[in-house]
Amino acid sequence: MKTRMKEYRARLGLTQEKLAEIVGVRRETIIFLEQGKYNPSLKLAYGIARALGAGIEEIFIFDDDQT
Amino acid sequence: MKTRWILMAYAAISLLALMLMLSRENLYVVIALVAGILLLGHRELWSLVRYGRMPVIDERVQNNLTGAMRLTGVFFFIASIMLIMLLRFNVFKNTPTELIISGQLVIVGFVYLIGYYYYDRVRPYLGERATRWLKICLITAGLCLSTIALAIVLHNLVSSWFGFEDAFFFIIALLVAPAVLVISLLGSLAIFIKGLSASFSGIEQA
Repeated sequence: MKTRMKEYRARLGLTQEKLAEIVGVRRETIIFLEQGKYNPSLKLAYGIARALGAGIEEIFIFDDDQT
Repeated sequence: MKTRWILMAYAAISLLALMLMLSRENLYVVIALVAGILLLGHRELWSLVRYGRMPVIDERVQNNLTGAMRLTGVFFFIASIMLIMLLRFNVFKNTPTELIISGQLVIVGFVYLIGYYYYDRVRPYLGERATRWLKICLITAGLCLSTIALAIVLHNLVSSWFGFEDAFFFIIALLVAPAVLVISLLGSLAIFIKGLSASFSGIEQA
């Protein structure tokens, strides 16, 4: 799974820490998500997308090769 | 939320056991329990000392905690069976039982700690191949430990049944299995450190 979290977060001028606080997760979780090292649950993905003011499919891009 | 309750229940049971052991003056077990509690709650304690609040337990942390607890549970179960077998055949002569139990408790704490760091930091940065090799090394190490215990028991049994000193299980228990164990543990450690260092540099870059 690829994400555009970093790009959207930068647009809003949010730090990883601030986004983590809004979503209610640890900063490390945001780091792992941005690096594509963790696949979030639908609930977390929705929370992040909402915090970044975008749709889930805009933030998280499903990679067909990694099924 | 469920994980937090499990942790709190675990801490409460540990404290109760601690008080019980203190009253019975089993100091080895008391030290082991304190060490175990510190190992299990190191994140919470660190967060309380540094930030003055409990750390957030999000879904990723919950998954990691569940994985580490499952791993520790399996290890504890296997270690207990092996320990009972070894105690049954009086392998630990002149060693106080509370010292043996304390050793097991501390090792279980370390297994939990390593398990947590594996799920939290190492696994995301290991490729498929490295993960497969780590599994192979750990399974081999586990099998070697079981083989050592089993070979000691079989050596004692064969020696007492047939009336001569058995050499086959003796060599397996003292030479072959420990050698394979050391190799597999070194392999696991190398892969673990590789993943951990990749994780630290990955998080620093973020």
